[in-house]
Amino acid sequence: MKPNNIWSWTWKIGGAALLLIIAACSMTIDSIVQPASVNGGDILPVTLNVTITTNTTQTSNFMVAVLVPKVWNASKNATITFTSDISSGDQGMTLIPAGTPAPQGGGLDWPTLLATKIGNGGNLLPDYEWVAFYSNSSYSVAGNATIHATVSIKIKTSPDNLSFKLGYCVANSTDGLSGSDRYGSYFSSCFQVNGTGDLIDFCNPQLANIDPRTSLDNDIITLTFDGGVTPTTLDNATSVYLCVSGITDTGDSLSVCEQTNRTKMRPLGLNKWQIDLWPRKLFNLPDNKHLTGLRYYFTDAAGGSKVGYGGGSLPFTYTFKCQ
Amino acid sequence: MKKTFLLSAITALLLLACKPERLVAPGEPVKALNGSWQIIKATRNGADLTNRFDFSKFRIHFTDSSYSIDSLVPFIVSRGGKWAFDDPTYPFQLSFTPTDSSRKSSPLLYPVSAGQRNIIITFSPGCSLNSYQYTLQKAN
Repeated sequence: MKPNNIWSWTWKIGGAALLLIIAACSMTIDSIVQPASVNGGDILPVTLNVTITTNTTQTSNFMVAVLVPKVWNASKNATITFTSDISSGDQGMTLIPAGTPAPQGGGLDWPTLLATKIGNGGNLLPDYEWVAFYSNSSYSVAGNATIHATVSIKIKTSPDNLSFKLGYCVANSTDGLSGSDRYGSYFSSCFQVNGTGDLIDFCNPQLANIDPRTSLDNDIITLTFDGGVTPTTLDNATSVYLCVSGITDTGDSLSVCEQTNRTKMRPLGLNKWQIDLWPRKLFNLPDNKHLTGLRYYFTDAAGGSKVGYGGGSLPFTYTFKCQ
Repeated sequence: MKKTFLLSAITALLLLACKPERLVAPGEPVKALNGSWQIIKATRNGADLTNRFDFSKFRIHFTDSSYSIDSLVPFIVSRGGKWAFDDPTYPFQLSFTPTDSSRKSSPLLYPVSAGQRNIIITFSPGCSLNSYQYTLQKAN
């Protein structure tokens, strides 16, 4: 390549990079006001204090996203507004429909881009979602300006008893998440909803869990025992079995506690075991009987070592529900 | 004179040769389910359960308008009864009416895979928040 050509390309690449740097807003979440807990069904109020710094004039919509448990149905139950130095009064925001491509997102929509770039905040159960909102208006900002915005988020929680690490992100409709300085994000520590039913704990590794979280007795349910979470008497077991009682709608307790093929769990490695079962079949339920819940343990092949909740002697519990 | 006669004869032959062909569009065959079908793939909320749960003995036997089930697994219905397509030529829904309960319908796909006709149905046997998709294929 001739020296002239090299200089020409250097200018072109340098110019493009300079343009990218200039034509950008940087955003930070400076502080957040969020309660440590709410009661199930209550409204969770959150305030984000945001600073936006511009390098050049830009006209964009403001974007705010929250990471929440799916069961809250935040796309219908969340309201987001904000105030700022460059607007007057509360500014409304509207849900960005799933499937809408995010700017500079390679075709990904906002929820997918947020999950890919920002993550899940360390929540351990997969039942979470990012829900993104755009401001109803677009805003022109001058170059070299510093703008403060106060975002007000209100989400109606579900009645469920759960702990979750909430996530927040602010960005704009031009830069998207194209650079780490173009957006601000924040994950809370474990937030608690004091609701009803078994605790849905997104924050701590679970010795046992059942998937799907919402099911009835005619579903196929998957029970997983993760012996890697804490030492138990099954640490050296070569096979693990389920010992389970079904509680019926008439209050009866039906027990299947045997070490046979129908209760044998398959090994997943690293002391993790799993079984898929159909509760109605397991308990031979007649048409007029239904299960309201399960109480269960895990045992070794001899049935002598029995591991329950927290590795202790009380059973794990599961409630059948569909909401 | 001879030339005029020859020209007229050729023209007449050409006109006779232009008999319009009657094109009959090939008809879409009426879809039939008659026979026994087995589950070759099963998913719950997108997770593949095929090799995790024993679906191997399940059979659903279709006749002209009735069906029966052997070795039940969680399914759209639990009893035998009557079945119907929403449209026998272009079916998009498959409905089951068990003898002891009301009709239940499933969206239907009817693809051919590796030379075999499959039917794919989607339903919720338990909680309506959980979606199951079974792919059925004729059992030998």
